[in-house]
Amino acid sequence: MTKTPDYFPARNFIDELRRYQKGSVTRRHFLGVTGLGLATAVLGGAVPGLRPRKAYAGLTGTLNVTTWPNYFSQENYDNFTKQTGVPININVFGSNEEMLAKLQAGSTGWDVLVPTNYTISTYKSLDLIEPLDLKLFPNYDPAQQDPRFLGPGTIDGVTYAVPKDWGTTGFIVNTKSTTENPASWKDFFALAQGPLSGKATVHDYQLTTIGSAAKSLGYSFNTVDPKELAEIEKLLVATKPHLFAVTSDYQPAMRNGDAAMAMCWTNDAAQLNRDLPEMSYRLGKDGGEIWVDHYAVIKGAPNRDAAYAFLDFILTPSINAKEIEAHGTPTTDARVLKLLPESILKNPILYPAAGQLSVLEYGAAETLTNPDRAELMARFKSA
Amino acid sequence: MTTTPRPKLVTALLLAPAGLFFVFLLLAPLAVVLLFSFGERAPAGGYVPAFTLQNYMDLPARGKAFFNTLTLAPFGTLLTALFAFPMAYFLAVKTSPGWRVALLILVMAPFWTSQLLRYYAWMMILGNKGIPGWLATLGIADVRIINTPWAVLIGAVYGFLPLMVPPIYVSLEKLDKRLLEASADLGATPIRTFLQVTLPLALPGVATGSMLVFILLMGDYILPQFLGGGKVFFIGNALVDLFLQSRNWPFGAAVSVALVAIMFVTIYVYMRFVLSKSGTRRAALV
Amino acid sequence: MSDTSSVIEFRKVTKRFGDVVAVAGNDLAVRAGEFMSILGPSGCGKTTSLRMMAGFEQPSSGEVFIRGENVTGVPAYRRPVNMVFQHYALFPHLSVADNVSYGLRQRNPKPSKAEIDRAVDGALAMVRLEGYGKRRSYELSGGQQQRVALARALINRPAVLLLDEPLAALDRKLRRDMQIELQNLQRDVGITFLLVTHDQEEALSMSGRVCVMREGRIVQTGSPRELYDQPVNRYVADFVGKTNFFAGPSPAEVLSIRPEQIEIATSLSALPEGLMARLPVRVLNRIFLGEHTEYVVVSEKLGEFMVMAPRKSERDAGVYDIGDMIAAGWRAEAERILPNT
Repeated sequence: MTKTPDYFPARNFIDELRRYQKGSVTRRHFLGVTGLGLATAVLGGAVPGLRPRKAYAGLTGTLNVTTWPNYFSQENYDNFTKQTGVPININVFGSNEEMLAKLQAGSTGWDVLVPTNYTISTYKSLDLIEPLDLKLFPNYDPAQQDPRFLGPGTIDGVTYAVPKDWGTTGFIVNTKSTTENPASWKDFFALAQGPLSGKATVHDYQLTTIGSAAKSLGYSFNTVDPKELAEIEKLLVATKPHLFAVTSDYQPAMRNGDAAMAMCWTNDAAQLNRDLPEMSYRLGKDGGEIWVDHYAVIKGAPNRDAAYAFLDFILTPSINAKEIEAHGTPTTDARVLKLLPESILKNPILYPAAGQLSVLEYGAAETLTNPDRAELMARFKSA
Repeated sequence: MTTTPRPKLVTALLLAPAGLFFVFLLLAPLAVVLLFSFGERAPAGGYVPAFTLQNYMDLPARGKAFFNTLTLAPFGTLLTALFAFPMAYFLAVKTSPGWRVALLILVMAPFWTSQLLRYYAWMMILGNKGIPGWLATLGIADVRIINTPWAVLIGAVYGFLPLMVPPIYVSLEKLDKRLLEASADLGATPIRTFLQVTLPLALPGVATGSMLVFILLMGDYILPQFLGGGKVFFIGNALVDLFLQSRNWPFGAAVSVALVAIMFVTIYVYMRFVLSKSGTRRAALV
Repeated sequence: MSDTSSVIEFRKVTKRFGDVVAVAGNDLAVRAGEFMSILGPSGCGKTTSLRMMAGFEQPSSGEVFIRGENVTGVPAYRRPVNMVFQHYALFPHLSVADNVSYGLRQRNPKPSKAEIDRAVDGALAMVRLEGYGKRRSYELSGGQQQRVALARALINRPAVLLLDEPLAALDRKLRRDMQIELQNLQRDVGITFLLVTHDQEEALSMSGRVCVMREGRIVQTGSPRELYDQPVNRYVADFVGKTNFFAGPSPAEVLSIRPEQIEIATSLSALPEGLMARLPVRVLNRIFLGEHTEYVVVSEKLGEFMVMAPRKSERDAGVYDIGDMIAAGWRAEAERILPNT
């Protein structure tokens, strides 16, 4: 009887390594955990012989875009440089908190920022981003956006950020290594402490780990109530010894079978499921996070003109569609949806049924700055 | 009498780059960290000037991180030295000069690939399809290595061997082989010669390597993050979280100051102890 | 059939390093209580011989005996001999006292601390370094280090003390003093000394017997006088003392005449009676050496040769100047026909 050995053959090993190397890794945290914080790539450089298109005439200098790893189409960015003569400097970050920390430290020289919903009001109140002049990027059409994604970027009727892509935070289950069928965060934590002890991971991230634990206890995703937080801490600390890892970089553990269940973001789920069909992504019936990333312009951006030109360029439906195809994260723009292939639109991981989404919550700004949640997370991690 | 100031000026100019480097890249940031450690966290995170000792009083909240670091860093250093010594000994004493260079390069070779890639490789080697998987086929089931302190120690030995081997190698290579013959001539068995001559004379190299590894391990956070899977929490991890996630800079500064102070004291005591015990201070310099 | 009075004996000992034969089938016996030297230029195999006695090297063939016991293959740490290394090889991490007591501390059973302390004091006194026990070796002068190395070896009362060019690192004056000191020490402690040196003067002045080596082979062993007066071939005559070589009766032979056995005078008639050879010579060079004056002279028949004139004759006949035509001659006994090897 021949049986495939459990341990990995050398070739698989190399394949896996290559995959990580190519960047099939967690969007938010990969660089965060490395602590490199900021990786910079200069694109385009001087492109001689290409005249700027008329609409973008008069632009000079370099554009600094601060975003997440693997969250843009290289081809689009190259084309922007070809059309405008403005090379793009890309800064990638591991977490919103880190981006904020850097901006708070001052003089970044950034122009365009890609913040997540719950951070925008803090950026605004700290006067770090400017109210957007919608006339300067006519290719953006608010009427074509899914209305549920327009809230976080608009404060007191003023648009500070426009939606880029959206997604959810659920959990992924390897149906080949377990017959359990979790459907809620309550199930998730029960399984993690029981049948899947040693095989589950949660994020190294206060918002989703504390938020999802809160949901399993029936509290708000964004709770800062001390009594509720104390209960959440008890649950998390009790779960800790059973966890395989506390990490936002859980793809390797899921792929090689160390973990069977992981707290998971949409795009990781899509990548895992694409390679391994047994990876099943679920949203908690008891709730969870929905998120939407935005484009914003830094207050006092050194190259403000190019920043708006960039927004206009990138939000052009045909160009935006190429963005979505490159990184696979769901779009908020109805015009772009029409241009996407069936395979993306029919993917339930990317576009879950509307009913499943109704119980999800946006992260709240307060969680970003609340010291109690931060300390809770620290105690959980060192427990 | 224009000859005396000139050498002084030359000396000053020669020392200037190192001095400036020291002042601006070491002392100045340390001063800022010290200043911040007495401040308060701004409501949205960051720093507001204040004078409070609260951050220092809060240090016990990171007690576990200090404990983990202060136990695993010395232990990891010791393990690394234990692995490095035979390698260095083999290279310096048992290898022909022609092979030596090639083997030394091999020792350093892991440094040429990305640290992350190497840690990912170890995640797979120590994961359940790696060594535990092999052991399972031999009938030893349910061995757990990855995301335990042992995985971090294995990673430390692997990651820091290239830093530990060269200083030990140098001290062994410098060692006068006639001293070993003299020891044998005076009746010492090979084991006693090793313990009484080779080891004490290689101690300066061991001390140098250990200091390098210890300092890096004390401040490390990538290794516990990757091979400890967030379950082995070092001071470095606490600092990353405090500065980049919760943005409690003043508390982070206080933790940093405590870390620097602990490192300083440990190194001072260690160097005093090793050098006075081995009595090789002079020999190490010659 | 081994000579019971010999403490170290080589029987047909050969040592090869790859294709190079460092020691070629030598027999050698060192007698108990004697001060013997092995003399030869560098690369002659003398140090390799010493290292085979100490046990650092093992012979490729042949046998080594110490006190009548076959020790071939026995490692250094199990041989009852000790060595003084060329650069002393003192342990830099140990005090002088700990260096000296090192050998005693390796013994099983280990002597008591009191015994060790007493032995160390005695050994340091023997080399006139009382009170130096607490110092570090690198704080001492070269001569003092030399004496610590001696004490460290002698404290073990070895069957033979092996000395590997022990004086080479010392300056000339100190070397003279240490030569005398070594001789006295050897007489006092009664331990057999075996010295390896390339310095013929050192070997001749210190040892009772000298063994001359060349290219791995022992050429001649004997007292310094025997070597000087009755060298077995041209090589020994040349290496031990100064001599003049002239063409021998056959190409395989050479005529050797020691320069101090040549008489010189202002003229042929002024030479003493009974000389076998009398030649007119011209003075080419003159070196004043204190009790002697060394002349280089040239004769039409024999070419250049060297003459060593004692002070006495200088007073008698005055100093000859360069260019002077004088006379030289020697007695029949001065001539020695040697194999030209």
